[in-house]
Amino acid sequence: MSFTFYTFLIIVALLLTVFVWSLRSTNKQTVPFSSSGVLHDFQASHVMHLPQIRRALAPTDYEFVSKKISPKALRQMRRERRQVALTYLSALRAEFDRLMRTARVMAALSPEVTTGQEMQRIFLTVSFLWRYRATRLILRAGFAPLPQLSDLSNVLSSFSVRLEEAMREMGERAAVVADVVSSPDRRRIHPV
Amino acid sequence: MAETFGIDKLFWGLTFFLNAGLVILVLYRKNVRVFPFFFLYALLDLAHGVVIFESYRIWGFNSATSRNIAWGTQGLVTFARALAVAEGCYRILAKFRGIWELAWRTLVTAGVFVSFYAWAVSRGSWQFAILNLDRSLELVIASVIVLLFLFARYYEVAVQPTVRTLVTGFFLYSCFRIVNDSILERWLHTYATLWNFFGTVTFLASLLLWIWALRLTQQQTAAEPELLPEDHYRSLSPAINARLRGLNEQLSHFWYAEGKKT
Repeated sequence: MSFTFYTFLIIVALLLTVFVWSLRSTNKQTVPFSSSGVLHDFQASHVMHLPQIRRALAPTDYEFVSKKISPKALRQMRRERRQVALTYLSALRAEFDRLMRTARVMAALSPEVTTGQEMQRIFLTVSFLWRYRATRLILRAGFAPLPQLSDLSNVLSSFSVRLEEAMREMGERAAVVADVVSSPDRRRIHPV
Repeated sequence: MAETFGIDKLFWGLTFFLNAGLVILVLYRKNVRVFPFFFLYALLDLAHGVVIFESYRIWGFNSATSRNIAWGTQGLVTFARALAVAEGCYRILAKFRGIWELAWRTLVTAGVFVSFYAWAVSRGSWQFAILNLDRSLELVIASVIVLLFLFARYYEVAVQPTVRTLVTGFFLYSCFRIVNDSILERWLHTYATLWNFFGTVTFLASLLLWIWALRLTQQQTAAEPELLPEDHYRSLSPAINARLRGLNEQLSHFWYAEGKKT
């Protein structure tokens, strides 16, 4: 019987914790009440600077430099390169957060959402955040080699092109919608 | 114990008058049109208080008739509370048609699952059937409220402060009832009087929250968002998910960097 008692106590403690966390102010924007607000969220990505970062982290460059400079300078270089990798990771995270926000706001403002798409996004978020934290920890601790970033820019840019095209199209259509809505005769927004 | 029972009576009276005050406040501030189910709940709870008081007066505190009346009317009040919570969910999310469709299905599924779970882990004897049912319902209400706020947080939906306070009152009350019922199940005879007392105090705290939340007249129509055309979600959501997957893959390259080199 104690098991039941403690089970319920633990459940209540968990519910209270999650409740307080969900009420906690996030200092984030809330869903804009206009669809055009969603579109301004999507801007050029920092991750697009990947080719430059890749060049800075190239192993051939590292091998070449190791023959030219002292071990102390080499260690410093290694530290700085690790810092570059960490900065790149942060950029990935920022990109991810920005996309997630766009997706969430879009879902909130859509008249119909698909459970599959939303579940997939939750799964991707959990997977990304877990990997992000673990990778960051390993990089910081210096246990991991500096990453090989070759071929990654292609993956990213192909997605960017597709998405930005869709966003541009959506922007054009939303501008037309906004124009119609702003007309006093056809207002859809209910006054407060 | 007798002293506790005296305080219990005092708190019970105080709760009754505050409940009556809440009903009058909702009517006076014309909030009954905004929160009809909440009003129904407050009204039923007030009537429940009158019925219990009369049954105790006529048949006595420990009689089986009083107990049956108390639990029977409690079922009705709990059902009204569930409706009031559903009303809170509707007021928070219904403006956003797409996620509301997703949310209500999720909340109902979670509710069914939680009630089965609560019933399954409870004591099997009939003596505790009503107690288990009550606890299951409270657990469902508390879980649904937590899920609701998680939904609102995830989709960045702004929650009206009044609705938030009302729902918070329901949540705290339900949580405490779960704990209180669990303690009663374990120490039935020694805890019975205190169980009543703590229940009254918790309800008193919730009443104060609700009175504070409804001190002003609420607007009947909330601003509605301008929704996107239907095909935008269908075309963009898979693209965004694909991009998110791409970012995930990039992280994998950090993991397998050494492997790729060889």
